[in-house]
Amino acid sequence: MLLAYSSYSYSDTVYGSTSNAASAGYAWVMTNILPQQAGLTVGNVVYRYTAVKNTDDDMVVHIQNDNARDEGYIFRSSDDWSGLPGNTINKIVPADNVDISYWGDGSIQVDGFGTVEDASVRYTYQYDPCFDPQSRPDCPGYIAPVDYSLEALVYEEDQQYIQDELDRKKTLQNEEEQEEANRKAMLAKKRRESDERLEVLLGIVNTDELSQEQLIKHGQLTAMNMLSSSYYTAIPGGTYQETIKLIDGKLPDSKKGLRVNLATQILHQKMVDLQYDN
Amino acid sequence: MFKKTLFAMALLCALPAYAAEIPITGNVESKCIVQMDTLGVYGNPTPSVLSTDNVDGGMTPIVRFDVIQASFYKARITYPNAFSSSPALSDVPTWTGSVAVGQVSDANMSAYSSALVTYDNVTEVDLTVAGSTWFDITSRVDYGFTTALPAGTYRAILSAECIAL
Repeated sequence: MLLAYSSYSYSDTVYGSTSNAASAGYAWVMTNILPQQAGLTVGNVVYRYTAVKNTDDDMVVHIQNDNARDEGYIFRSSDDWSGLPGNTINKIVPADNVDISYWGDGSIQVDGFGTVEDASVRYTYQYDPCFDPQSRPDCPGYIAPVDYSLEALVYEEDQQYIQDELDRKKTLQNEEEQEEANRKAMLAKKRRESDERLEVLLGIVNTDELSQEQLIKHGQLTAMNMLSSSYYTAIPGGTYQETIKLIDGKLPDSKKGLRVNLATQILHQKMVDLQYDN
Repeated sequence: MFKKTLFAMALLCALPAYAAEIPITGNVESKCIVQMDTLGVYGNPTPSVLSTDNVDGGMTPIVRFDVIQASFYKARITYPNAFSSSPALSDVPTWTGSVAVGQVSDANMSAYSSALVTYDNVTEVDLTVAGSTWFDITSRVDYGFTTALPAGTYRAILSAECIAL
């Protein structure tokens, strides 16, 4: 015995009928009549009206729809009442399942003498609700869309992290620049003071030419030990050996640098992972 | 040689003779269908009258003829001239009725109105156009002069037939 089992998914075709298109007048806009469903087709046009006329008069009644994608009509049913007594006509006209995109505005047109009363025009239609697989999650072939709101949230978090990191680096750089500027200013100040002292010292050789006031000033500076003794002390010659040494001989890694590197790596990994999110 | 000929003749004579009768069947489905569109109801506007007219509180029965092939059938509609069931009546009711073309599925069927042939309580018309035709039938019963119909349920039957021409 051979057992066979098959499983498949499908979507049921929806069949329906419109309301009376001629209820509000003998001209109507089809977008207000047919459900705006992709893949919808019109199967039949069902209409009824009463022709009121004299038997001898000529009268032709047209029930029609413009062709929305071309010139002329996509549907036109004509009833020739010429020479016939008026009556109520009730008619079903096949429409060959023409796609919804072809159905333009509809109307009832009367040529000749007579009037149309109590008109009713209805369209029977059908459509596959899964014509567009993305229209419903249970449609075959449906692809779940990416949750852009969540992605935006992650993106915002990353953006905030990057901005914080940039701010921190900028603050750090400013502090370093400030320290460097202070250090340079201090050095410049020391250099100026040193130059002044040097000028004063060099002026000693011309002590005779100094004024009394300058001599007093020099004496004060010397007494305050403001002048480096090297300016007026002979420095013995010879070789000066390096005396500053690194005790343990090991330079540790910067923890600050490690943190920045790790944060950058995490951010990079997040951005790479985003490419593989469903 | 002679022996061979005799053997062949004997063989031929030994063959049996077969005969068979093969039936041929076929079904004909009518291309004219009669449908009851609306059931009739008698109204009782006065004690002595029963009427299907809407004005009299009744409901007009409607019969639809669906013809697939034109000019092969005629419609025969018979409105009632007797009750199929009713209370016991002491007087003889008078029956009247009519048949009219109601709705049509083709404008040319409107000509049926002038082509109706009526005799007794029977109306006939040739169905010369393919499509659907609705016939409105009325029935009225007048029961004596100033004589009330006995209380009870009254039933009458109209007949609608599609007859091949």
